[in-house]
Amino acid sequence: MAESKQTPDANTGIPEYEYIDVNTKPFHVGSFRDEWLARLRPEDFSFQQEDEETFEANFAAEMGLGADTMAELKSACSIDSLRCHPEDEQLSMDDVPSNPRLKTLIQRKRKQERASSHNIHKNRHDFYADELERLTIGRPPEMGADRIPKGEVLLTINIYHPAVYEKFNFTRPCMTLLMTGSHTLTELRDAICCISDLQVCGEFSKTPDVAPDFISKDHFKSAFFFFEGVFYNDMRFPECQDISITTVEWAKAHNFPQYSQAKMEDTRFVDLKVKVGFPYLYCHQGECEHIIIITDVRLFHKTDCLDKNLYPLLTHKHRSLTQKCAVCHVFIARWYTTNDQFAPSDPCLFCDQCFRILHYDTEGNKLGQFFAFPYTDRGAFN
Amino acid sequence: MDASHKHVKADCEALLARFQQTQSVRFEVFANIWREMKFSQIFRGVVKHEKRAFCHLVLNTAYCYFLPPFSFQIRVGGLYLLYSLYYTQTASPSEQIHLALKDWEEVKKFENNAIDAQHMDAVYILRHLMFCKAFRFTAMPTLLCFQTNKVKERSVLREEFIERASRPQELISSGLLEEMSNVSDLYENMKASVLSQMTTPGDSSFNLIRKDLVSQLSGTVQEFYNWQREKETFDENENSQEDTSQKVCSNRAELLASIKSKAFGEAPETLKSRRHRRVEMNSTTEASAALLNQGYTRILKQSLRKRTRDALLLSGDVQMESASHTRISLLATLDSASKKILKEERS
Repeated sequence: MAESKQTPDANTGIPEYEYIDVNTKPFHVGSFRDEWLARLRPEDFSFQQEDEETFEANFAAEMGLGADTMAELKSACSIDSLRCHPEDEQLSMDDVPSNPRLKTLIQRKRKQERASSHNIHKNRHDFYADELERLTIGRPPEMGADRIPKGEVLLTINIYHPAVYEKFNFTRPCMTLLMTGSHTLTELRDAICCISDLQVCGEFSKTPDVAPDFISKDHFKSAFFFFEGVFYNDMRFPECQDISITTVEWAKAHNFPQYSQAKMEDTRFVDLKVKVGFPYLYCHQGECEHIIIITDVRLFHKTDCLDKNLYPLLTHKHRSLTQKCAVCHVFIARWYTTNDQFAPSDPCLFCDQCFRILHYDTEGNKLGQFFAFPYTDRGAFN
Repeated sequence: MDASHKHVKADCEALLARFQQTQSVRFEVFANIWREMKFSQIFRGVVKHEKRAFCHLVLNTAYCYFLPPFSFQIRVGGLYLLYSLYYTQTASPSEQIHLALKDWEEVKKFENNAIDAQHMDAVYILRHLMFCKAFRFTAMPTLLCFQTNKVKERSVLREEFIERASRPQELISSGLLEEMSNVSDLYENMKASVLSQMTTPGDSSFNLIRKDLVSQLSGTVQEFYNWQREKETFDENENSQEDTSQKVCSNRAELLASIKSKAFGEAPETLKSRRHRRVEMNSTTEASAALLNQGYTRILKQSLRKRTRDALLLSGDVQMESASHTRISLLATLDSASKKILKEERS
């Protein structure tokens, strides 16, 4: 009997590819979770490990196998039969074996030989790629109220560099965050580190010692997320403005599809309808825009970090090169000067000490003509 | 990491091809092949910080063989492969297998097929993986990052692994044919009774259906089935002796199939879980050798380079020179000296 093809609409929560290996169609995160929980038994997604004997007994009972058959089956399927080397031989897993037959091994050996002959420098990005993940994966689960409840949804979110950056705009994520389904969007917003938040506005050549009393993050608090035609605005503080209203009104005036608005602090991830693998937008500071991609949505597993307090969890951070002082090339630059008669280039970067030595006398008076701005380096979050 | 994806896929396919040749779905057979190929060495030599990513890649590659459109035997092989890779991986704690929500139904269907055919080792292994929480229940099998600019080589699924198309046989079942013949008789009778009362009975506009539709349909399906069977070369001994060690399972399954087929003389379609058993194993080498020779005749298309070369029909020295790099230094040397250099290189 020919089955009728069920076309899942956006409400069913079963994600399907919109474009294969690129992104999915939109689906509701909460419904996705419910679909999975409906299909699994509670033991399947709990964090406790079942007892092996109980499992075998249940299996034998269900299939109607006798004890002998069960024992035979167990020994036939045991992983000991997969061992490729004699039991007492201790093999190091770090070396490629000699005379490899598998294509993967041949290629790996070739790559190793090439790498050793060319003396390629270690790539710091790859080296530290899993550093953060190693810290948290497999942590013993917490007990008590801090523990993530079973059946909770985990989202992996990639945040990319701001659109104004020349490099790595859409390829390398600036950071990867893990969020639970019950987190609100404001928690995601707070977890995103962008150096434009730390920028200080203002010219400080005359008063270099005055600590700036505000940073941009405190000054410009408005931000929004854009998911599937809805702008989620941050309205927690009285200074926050709705910066998405301009876009919404422009769209209305220009025959674009209608966009709607909602509050960031009231929306949790389980309420969202999103596409996995599709780029969305996060805008803060009025003009600093980041692309956000949700790369995966899944149920929690016992090897994940189960401590609620650690989420949002950072699993990957891009390590940017830091700009060093133009004079000493040792310290990271803190000052940015323009129209500087002492500087070799315009604009020029200085660390704190070199800046003061060069531009101010022993009493702290300004020497010469220049404009100085406090500079926050991109690598501040490394 | 992308380069190794191709090689990992090639290695998995090599393993599964050998498994397919054995015409068996037993785990011991799979383990033999695994040991022979020393497949757990695939994890050796991975740099520490790449271990997890590599294990993820390997498990993902193996996962696609567990799902349709591959044949039942290949899917069982894929399951065994996942099981073996999961337990021999070097990442600690272990990297999980990503199981997508859309594939859950297929997995359940597979499990039910295996239970019906009494392939206990496959069911046990699947349940064991669930018990050990080897699966992560995700939205999609891979992490999606909206990579449209990457050149996607459309992964060509190996034809030998794909399930033989059986929809025509399943659709046109005996029950359906019987019903259709009943309806068509009823229609004919009604038409005849109505026509006899009309003034112009001979009008051809009343002939709206095909005559003998039912027999034509069943004949066509039978033809299709026979053509399929001829295409896959195998020994037509399906009703002969059975392998003693598989007695119970195969007897029961064959019995079911024969009952269904004997009833209405339709194309005997074996259960999906039995279809890999083309040749009855008498555990002789001649049978398996014969099968290997007939085997799968895969049409290999020559590379564009080779085809161009053959088409242009270059000869002798010109062909040799065109195949190698141009040596600019030879432009300035004497003919005799350059010939010497070329000769040295050729030897």
